[in-house]
Amino acid sequence: MKYFRPNSIDEYHELLVTLKETSMSILAGGTDLMPRWEPDKGLMPDVLIDIKKIDGLMGIRENEDEIIIGALTTIQDIKKSILMQNEFGSLSEAARQFAGVQIRHRATIGGNICNASPAGDILPGLYVHQANIQLIGPNGSRSIPISKFIIGPGKTMLEPGEIVSEIHLLRKGVKSLFYKLGLRQSMAIAVVNFAIAYQQDSNGAFTSLNIAAGSVAPTIVYLESFVDAIMSGVSLDEAIQHVDIDISPIDDIRATADYRSTALKNVLEYNFRHELHQGNE
Amino acid sequence: MANPLFRISLTINGQPVQADVPATLRLLDFLRYDLDLTGAKDVCGEGECGACTIFMDGKTVNSCLILAVEADGSELMTIEDLSHGKMLNEMQQAFVDYHSVQCGYCIPGMVLSGEQIIKDHGKPDRDTIREDLSGNICRCTGYQKIVDAIEFAADKR
Repeated sequence: MKYFRPNSIDEYHELLVTLKETSMSILAGGTDLMPRWEPDKGLMPDVLIDIKKIDGLMGIRENEDEIIIGALTTIQDIKKSILMQNEFGSLSEAARQFAGVQIRHRATIGGNICNASPAGDILPGLYVHQANIQLIGPNGSRSIPISKFIIGPGKTMLEPGEIVSEIHLLRKGVKSLFYKLGLRQSMAIAVVNFAIAYQQDSNGAFTSLNIAAGSVAPTIVYLESFVDAIMSGVSLDEAIQHVDIDISPIDDIRATADYRSTALKNVLEYNFRHELHQGNE
Repeated sequence: MANPLFRISLTINGQPVQADVPATLRLLDFLRYDLDLTGAKDVCGEGECGACTIFMDGKTVNSCLILAVEADGSELMTIEDLSHGKMLNEMQQAFVDYHSVQCGYCIPGMVLSGEQIIKDHGKPDRDTIREDLSGNICRCTGYQKIVDAIEFAADKR
């Protein structure tokens, strides 16, 4: 296996032109790729391009309208960010519940996005805050909403030669929360997870509501029917029945489809009653 | 096709190290087999158990999920660096005093995660210790005494 570690985007693109190998992989934190590769058995790509040293892709910065997260920012740095804690609660909490400390020290937000796991913990928060994913390729850069960027399990709109450079989040004063149901509190892949972004008036009625759930469809999905039902003013008990319209869960090693559907409805209802003070607590 | 070698230079436990390694070599195997630093253990091999924990540039990482080539230019600290000869550091001594060790396989990782917890939280409460120890699995002791030891070491520091 050949290994390259470009120091800049330009160096990365120059490198791509010279490579002829077809089996190629981009490496960031490696916490998802390494268990798949089994280097001790030689199951690895022909070429590995380590992008960790590419300049300028790390850290969280802000301007008046946006928070901008570099793609190589680690999950632990997101967890520790006061800015994220104050303004993007769902992402901060998802980072807290993400694997364990050692993994969070390596895993990157760009990697979590490009893995496009249906269960990715960082993703529901990015969906409800309508994050824009900034990509850099040989022909320039472009920006895509997260929900358009991820198209299936492990599948994204990333073109050959492109990498994710930044994640842009609009500062709209929307509150958000994240909830994860796993088989164990830490280090567990979600059976279901979701994020809720919301604004409430002084009576507790929603002036905006957006929910995205993971592990219940091939990608993260917006629970649009459920949100429409809540916003139309029907009771929580009635609205919760609409959740099944929005999801298409499957059976796998962690849970059955039926379990996921029931569990999602139960934990949603719990969060609406106890965190958002809707219906009877 | 021959597996090409790559020159890496790094610092391990304060000592400069240079080596030529294939890009397929895991950092854990480089430490254990090339350098005979066998404190980090190879257990799950997929980042679940934390037995291979080391410090890389001042932060705990799973050395089974890192390639040796990725460590080029970095500063590593393994469990071997904590004691001075037979003199254990406070964290290691606390593990002994609190009888935190049974089979011992998870302990190097536990001790280093304990060090990271003190680094991050100073004098943490037990819930914080448990939460930040969740990347380390022990199948013997039930964690109680490990948490006791870390709490004591944190208080003492």
